[in-house]
Amino acid sequence: MYQKLIQNDIRKNKPISVVITAFILIAALLTSLAASLTVNLFGAIDNMLLSAKSVHFMQMHTGDVGLEQLGRFAAGNEYVEAYQVLPFLNIDGAEIIIGDDSLADSVQDNGLTIQSSQFDFLLDLNNEIIEPSDGEIYVPIYYMQEGAAALGDTVTIYDVTFTVAGFLRDSTMNAALVSSKRFLVSEADYETLSAFGQLEQLISFRLKDGTSDADFEADYLAAGLPSNGPPAITYAQVRLINGVTDGIMIGVLALIIILVVIVAFLCIRFTLLAKIEEDYREIGVLKAVGMRVSGIKKLYLAKYGVLAGIACVLGFLLSLLLQEPFMQNIRLYMGESDRLTTLLGLLCGLAGAAVIYAVVLLYVNGVLGRFKKISAAQAVRFGAPQEKSKSVRGFRLSGNRLFSRNVFLGIKDILARKTLYVTMLAVLIISSFIMIVPQNIYNTISSKSFITYMGMGLCDAVLYIKPTQTADVTQKGAEMASVLAADENVEHYTVITTVMFDMTADDGSMQKLRVSLGDHTAYPITYTQGTAPRLESEIAISALYADDLAKTIGDEIILTVDGAEKRLTVCGIYSDITSGGRTAQAIFEANSGDILSIGIPITFHSAATGRRSSRSTTSSSPSPRSTALRKTLTKCSATRLTQSSWRPMPQLG
Amino acid sequence: MEKMITGSALVKTFGTGAEQAKALNGVDVEIEKGEFIAVMGPSGSGKSTLLFALSGMDDISGGSVRFNETELSDLREKELADVRRTKMGFIFQQPTMLKNLNLLDNIILPAAREGRKGTARLTEKARALMQKTGIAGLENRDTAEVSGGQLQRAGICRALMNTPEILFADEPTGALNSRSAEEIMGLLVDINKEGTAILLVTHDARVAARAERILCMKDGVIVSELKLGKFGGADMEARTEQVLALMAAVGI
Repeated sequence: MYQKLIQNDIRKNKPISVVITAFILIAALLTSLAASLTVNLFGAIDNMLLSAKSVHFMQMHTGDVGLEQLGRFAAGNEYVEAYQVLPFLNIDGAEIIIGDDSLADSVQDNGLTIQSSQFDFLLDLNNEIIEPSDGEIYVPIYYMQEGAAALGDTVTIYDVTFTVAGFLRDSTMNAALVSSKRFLVSEADYETLSAFGQLEQLISFRLKDGTSDADFEADYLAAGLPSNGPPAITYAQVRLINGVTDGIMIGVLALIIILVVIVAFLCIRFTLLAKIEEDYREIGVLKAVGMRVSGIKKLYLAKYGVLAGIACVLGFLLSLLLQEPFMQNIRLYMGESDRLTTLLGLLCGLAGAAVIYAVVLLYVNGVLGRFKKISAAQAVRFGAPQEKSKSVRGFRLSGNRLFSRNVFLGIKDILARKTLYVTMLAVLIISSFIMIVPQNIYNTISSKSFITYMGMGLCDAVLYIKPTQTADVTQKGAEMASVLAADENVEHYTVITTVMFDMTADDGSMQKLRVSLGDHTAYPITYTQGTAPRLESEIAISALYADDLAKTIGDEIILTVDGAEKRLTVCGIYSDITSGGRTAQAIFEANSGDILSIGIPITFHSAATGRRSSRSTTSSSPSPRSTALRKTLTKCSATRLTQSSWRPMPQLG
Repeated sequence: MEKMITGSALVKTFGTGAEQAKALNGVDVEIEKGEFIAVMGPSGSGKSTLLFALSGMDDISGGSVRFNETELSDLREKELADVRRTKMGFIFQQPTMLKNLNLLDNIILPAAREGRKGTARLTEKARALMQKTGIAGLENRDTAEVSGGQLQRAGICRALMNTPEILFADEPTGALNSRSAEEIMGLLVDINKEGTAILLVTHDARVAARAERILCMKDGVIVSELKLGKFGGADMEARTEQVLALMAAVGI
């Protein structure tokens, strides 16, 4: 009987049945896919990190490491299981020529390294540890996916020729988001080239199980060990950064799932309410003749059970087909998950589809709950009741002077069946939301000013000078500033020096604080609270620092500057995505401290950049902005700074 | 005779405040097993409300209804539904049925319990009832493919599926032509003869003349009662005359 009821109902309402099935199918497909991808992603990451014996703590440093001090620290620290210092030989992108093209335009910091002997291994595409022969080079997988390199290509670095013998997975620098990339060569080849690049050291530790990253980092910094590179990387960060690209994809899937489920629910609600209104008298009669509400509900639930069942099974099966393309990136960057994870992914995918099935039926059951309210006697005698609100009663044809008869009846119907039409309105609103929101997000992040919410001021380019490039960063910064001052293309610039200071925490312990010194009003960013520092006694801190230090506007931060205690008042808090999100801004002058880098944001004259006329970056001819950059760069080359120090400001979107 | 339903001091109000109306205003009524009662009265007199109150289909605002010594207001909704399904049968002016089921399935539907158990027995019974009510052969027809009279017969079959003790009929012939109405009333008389009590609401004197007792209602109270005795099939005209005289006396 149920079979006939369902068949007839679906046959008579084909379009709406198809639409509802399609929405449930999409929801089940995406849920199944997202669940399966999540399990496989984490499985693959763990698998790779295990094969690579990835680092638990890594600090980059330029200059002398002090191996003896490091050895003493490692031997004396209760958390250290193993440690190593690996070389990372920074090579100018222009000097790495793959086939006929150089990496001059690469936004990555590229460098050579050798295979580790203890941990942090570089792996091939089978997750095996690579042992390169002389003349062979293994290229980061990032360049394979970018199409910059292929197996067998010739790579020339400072006239030394290599053959691409394979591609490598690098547990710490794999992700496109990580701006450093390691090329692997044999020890002999590394020795040959070591004279050419700028050496950076990767000081890495494997820690004992259960060690807190924060505790160890505090120990490391307190010991005064080398740390002039970017903030240290922990195992949790390595895991996170490897998952972030595919994680974002899964996050987007989750958002779409939520919206699709909402639309599916609204469609079901609209259909059901219309059906209940249509069948009101029938439902009343069935109640009157003694059929239980649960029995009547089953008559309606059965149809959605079948539709949702078909949709969820098909959704799950389709998700299996779609997994291949979606898993491609995960497989490439992390490798295969083990069998157990694959099976678990499959089960989670199935569970995802089952959850959608259960959620749909629970929702339908909930909507059908209104059967309880239907009075059998009223339904038998009068059919579906009309809403009795005052707005409906007061809206009379006899008193109407405004609308034509047909328009009046239309409005009256909408007022009398508000519940039904509100559902339809909600579908329209959410559909508009689905269409408009991505466009708005696109517009927001495409806007030039958006970058000021991310810790960067609006400028045409930023010139960075790092200790890896020159021994005296301050001197080089001054030289660059004088060149820029004389350049007619340059409209405006400012020099920002980033220094690592010692900070006295509230509990009296010493911590490190990365502070950018200079005029922060020249290229203003957007502050979530307060303003840029305007007095020597003021400091603005990033939101992450504010959280870490539990500081807010008006609080005090104590730094050690030039050997003396300096008390600064927090005047602003801002969001930042640069330097791991932990930065601070101040304008005082300091003669000591560990200089991490000098950044010089630059604005070119509008005539030089052609800002008004040129938005196109797709043209094959160089844009006016890049022409202005290159002219200035040529002048700067007298200071023997490499081209890779330049960072054109990103053109988001 | 043994009492089956006792309604005491029944009150049913609709609306609130100044708009409040009393559809039943202190009605006392008793129905005995196997009895055939017709309720008559003008529109708005409370006939149908009385039927819904006595069958437990609608809540009452005051008074009590006892069915086989069970107070209906004491029962939970599920228990009340079970009483209606197993002990009572219902026939409405519009024999409303589900459009997506054929006649046979519509007849079986309310009687069928969960699962497929007993469906074969129910199908057999439904076919027998369809045979008895003269609609055999229409089992697979859609509800839209039969006449009003045939649909009402299907409604009677549905009402009889669980062999009820009483049949509540709310103007069962109201939407039918006179020939179909005669046939339906003939069926009801036969059903009553087999022991099923009937409470029938009607405007039609010829329909009411088949009942053995007639209650006349006006403004929510029973104003008059006429005992005709069991209908044998012969003196139809005389009984109708008596009903008409009652109606005239009451002013209907």
